[in-house]
Amino acid sequence: MTNSADVITITMRKHAWWFWVLAGLWLQLEVLLVQTALASVRESEYRAAVISGIAAAVLASVGVFGWLRRGDSRKPDRPNESI
Amino acid sequence: MKELRKPIGRRSLLKAGGFVAANGALGAIWALVTGTGAGASTSGNLRKRPRWIKVVRQPTLGETNADFKRFSGFDMFALYRPLKTQREGAGSFEAEQASKAKRLIAWTNEKKPGFSLPDQQLSEGAWTVMRSARPGVGLLSWTRPPEDEPKEQISQRYTASPEEMANTVKAAARLYGARLVGIAPMNEAYVNLQVPHRDRPHKEQPPKDVQQKDPHSAVHPHEGEDRKSGDSLAHHHSDKDQKGEQGKEQQKTNQPPQDKDIVFADVDVPEVTDAKFVIPRKMKWVVAIAIPMDIELLARTPTPLGDAASALGYSHSAFVVSSLAVFIRGLGYEAIPCVNDTAQSIPFALDAGLGELSRLNKLVTPEFGPAVRLCKVFTDMPMAYDKSIDFGLVEFCKGCKKCAEACPSRALSFDDEPSFKTKGPWNNPGHKTWYEDSYKCFQYWQKSGSACGVCLASCPYTKGDQAWIHEGVKATISMAPPTDGVFRIMDNALGYGKQHAPEQWWTKDSPSGGRG
Repeated sequence: MTNSADVITITMRKHAWWFWVLAGLWLQLEVLLVQTALASVRESEYRAAVISGIAAAVLASVGVFGWLRRGDSRKPDRPNESI
Repeated sequence: MKELRKPIGRRSLLKAGGFVAANGALGAIWALVTGTGAGASTSGNLRKRPRWIKVVRQPTLGETNADFKRFSGFDMFALYRPLKTQREGAGSFEAEQASKAKRLIAWTNEKKPGFSLPDQQLSEGAWTVMRSARPGVGLLSWTRPPEDEPKEQISQRYTASPEEMANTVKAAARLYGARLVGIAPMNEAYVNLQVPHRDRPHKEQPPKDVQQKDPHSAVHPHEGEDRKSGDSLAHHHSDKDQKGEQGKEQQKTNQPPQDKDIVFADVDVPEVTDAKFVIPRKMKWVVAIAIPMDIELLARTPTPLGDAASALGYSHSAFVVSSLAVFIRGLGYEAIPCVNDTAQSIPFALDAGLGELSRLNKLVTPEFGPAVRLCKVFTDMPMAYDKSIDFGLVEFCKGCKKCAEACPSRALSFDDEPSFKTKGPWNNPGHKTWYEDSYKCFQYWQKSGSACGVCLASCPYTKGDQAWIHEGVKATISMAPPTDGVFRIMDNALGYGKQHAPEQWWTKDSPSGGRG
């Protein structure tokens, strides 16, 4: 049985400190862009809404892609070499 | 599983700490920049302004020279007709007004977006309160009506420290609808020399000093002065509804309208006589107030919908200053409520820290940009003065020029630096600014059939208050002027400042009715 603290511990150990700093910045920028897109609709500034919406979507894609591919760079290209 | 139970190591702790610290630092920077500061409290009694709005000793465009003195009081509303006659010949004004009237009727019939009957009447309705506000009488009375003389039990004066007095007045002003309030010292140089007669816009002969000053005059100033007076100037400021009993009487007797002098005197109460307005010298405090305009309406300018934004701002102003004057009188002091009349609102607003002077030659506030209407109350109630502010606007204006590019009449200056060079008699000379060509501006008003305001709508500081990012951008401009150009490019790229479809205003969920 693992508890949530264990999960956090394991996850934290998996990545370097700069990964988490970048992840935090990414999250803040994502929130800002989504808020701007939604607010721009309320302000009837549709061009600003579309552009910030696209920027938010691109940033989200990069984040998700990066998360799915996390750790790839640490895997050896030719595993047999390490044997 | 055993590994899972290992205690968190120093390395993991450092990682977690780094994550929290880095993001916390970012949040702290945001809070510090956009959060409230200790010095900038000019916007209200308890509401503090963000730290990026710096308090300074004098306005950022406060330089004056020997030409700076009391303004005549004759703005473009009073000057347009005589100037038009001078420059383009007798009958040019009447021809222009007739052409404008025809165009407006045609646009109404064909339901041109922004000029339909409801659009035009929206503006007319919004002017209602302002139209009944005349300097010295009614809403803008300079004295308390006899029936409102304080009763014995409340005739005592309210006294407190100057700071408390200022806070009390600011709180009341905010309740009545002011969004920005500041206290400035009285400066007689900001007070006009005269209150033009309300029929002045209908008269062809300019005031004497204007005949001498206008460099573009192609016609002798007295040419055509015996002709019958024509149509009104602009439907929103000087139409038939604005003519009072005084005007009718003068038309009967065929006497020229009398402009009234404004004088300062050592008297106890303000006086309004047939010949002059008297301001007591003991009135050393000015409550400067900004009323935000509805930017959804302003975004639809130049149409009567855009005009309704100005109209509503003025009507709100009249309500706020008249209510505040009654409040101050109730506290045992004298009060003179003014909207655009009697004195220049902008220099008082600059001294009170409501904003900075801009390329528009108008006030730009950090909160609402130039989309505000200004008004003021003179009083002898002792209050703590506020200070001017600097949020990087003048530097931004030097490079931006978006308003000058957007102006359909090319009335705004493209000069990089502000100067003392005026454009005509409508300008109040002697202070450094970007002077505007109001004559071109007014000509466009006649052509477009409505008050314009494109400059106000296009300013990068005219933004809604929904998106957090606007606050961050303004803070960055204030603290890092080298970024100004980037934000100017972004403002265009994101499509800000363009006219919104007028017809869509009517289908919006809830017309905001101003931001006050």
